[in-house]
Amino acid sequence: MAPAKAFDGDIHKAKGFGCVACHGGDANAAGMEAMDRAKGFIGVPKRQQIPQVCGRCHADAAFMKRYNPSLRVDQVAEYESSVHGSRLRQLGDPKVATCASCHPAHNIRPPSDPKSSVYPLHVADTCGRCHGDAKYMAGYKIPTDQVAKYKTSVHWKAMTDKGDLSAPTCNDCHGNHGAVPPGVSFVGNVCGQCHSLTADLFKKSVHAKVFAEMGNPGCATCHENHGIQPPGDFMLGLGDKAVCSTCHGADDKGGKTATEMRALIDSLSGETQKANAILLQANHAGMEVSQAQFDLNGAKDALVKARTAVHSYTVAPVKQEVEAGLAISSKAYARGVRAMQDLRFRRVWLTIFLVVVLALAAGLVMKIRQVDRRPTSGSPPKH
Amino acid sequence: MAEHVLEPDSSRRGFVNWFLGLSGVAFLLSTVYPLSRYLVPPRVAESTAGTVTLPIKPDDVKANSGQIFKFGSRPAILVRTPAGDLRAFSAICTHLNCTVQYRTDLTQIWCACHNGHYDLNGKNVEGPPPRPLDAYVVNVRGNQIVVSKSA
Repeated sequence: MAPAKAFDGDIHKAKGFGCVACHGGDANAAGMEAMDRAKGFIGVPKRQQIPQVCGRCHADAAFMKRYNPSLRVDQVAEYESSVHGSRLRQLGDPKVATCASCHPAHNIRPPSDPKSSVYPLHVADTCGRCHGDAKYMAGYKIPTDQVAKYKTSVHWKAMTDKGDLSAPTCNDCHGNHGAVPPGVSFVGNVCGQCHSLTADLFKKSVHAKVFAEMGNPGCATCHENHGIQPPGDFMLGLGDKAVCSTCHGADDKGGKTATEMRALIDSLSGETQKANAILLQANHAGMEVSQAQFDLNGAKDALVKARTAVHSYTVAPVKQEVEAGLAISSKAYARGVRAMQDLRFRRVWLTIFLVVVLALAAGLVMKIRQVDRRPTSGSPPKH
Repeated sequence: MAEHVLEPDSSRRGFVNWFLGLSGVAFLLSTVYPLSRYLVPPRVAESTAGTVTLPIKPDDVKANSGQIFKFGSRPAILVRTPAGDLRAFSAICTHLNCTVQYRTDLTQIWCACHNGHYDLNGKNVEGPPPRPLDAYVVNVRGNQIVVSKSA
């Protein structure tokens, strides 16, 4: 699209800026005379010039306050700290991203605009334009499957299937203007922005130190980085799909702990499902079990807490949650059993009652017929 | 003469038999139908109650406090803000369905499972919850608190 045409949707045009604001020259002159290099016309900015061109306004707090007081003014400084910025400055890398790579010149829209290249749903594709292009990225020696993997992740599904725009995309973990890969030791901090309780447990655990020594990237060691899948109990223990078995065996302490934690979680999961099933059956049969179903939520909570407590990698906190949950689920199950016994009792006695009533009715009909057949004293004798 | 006496008696007996048969069929239907309805489980699995009157008096809910109540078979939370407003929300965390609670120290609704925080409008403000809690309508009628799913 022609720059002037694309500019119609640009936030800068909406705020009253024209071509001269970025390209320089004489705003009062018409036609080609406006492009006067003596009056600051720079033409198409060179890649190295772009951060400074944008920064003239965007790094000036006093100027920016006139248009958007809440907008940050450290983007250029952040960019300088990024891998992109440092390669541009130090190596003059002609392929590296600058402001206009993510905020396309002449069609810049704020992140809240669904048409924007930096709207949360579009960020992965914006980054993927370079990072998903193996040919373009050849020579940088980094993978190019991040976006493809990310699009299989629970975070992408939360954003697209559930419409949760706060779910993390590239910039939430890597930074936007200061984009860098999180250091191996800091992955937990990045994930901990949202998963704080789990990250706290992990930090205090034996794995935090061991993973750092081994150079393993914290949470991502078990959960992956870009292609994070929904976690499940199958990950725990020493089974085929268990992540613990990557390092631990049946004979070492960690393997035994993992097996014990898995057994505890399975027991609570099984008991909760059993209680839930019988209460649902009783409820479907018309029995009043809403209080028991309400109370069973406590066991479900305990199961979620036990799964979180796994990240302490010790049995005691898991056991504490599981025992609390088992106490609730066994009570709920007992109430379900009682409800089903009540139901059977009612059905049996209803059947007995009906048999008696129907027998009485049949007897009554037979009696009436017998009375009908008996000769009455006033009727004439039959010959 | 005898023929004239027997005719009305026979027709009366026929009517009584017909009436008795009809009553028998009506009786069977009125017994079998409710019985079959009783024995076949209803399709609706859970309570669809849209309104609940709480067993709590408005004066018993202090400012900056909250308590869980039963809405059908699901948990909900009644909150009295520090400013004195009564508000109610679903108490099911939007992350993994744990039951949330009120944190007096934070003046927030909080989920213990993964440290999720909601403000007093039910909006998710910290932690993993992906969306706000469902909000309910609270009405105070005399000395009763009535919570509804919609106005």
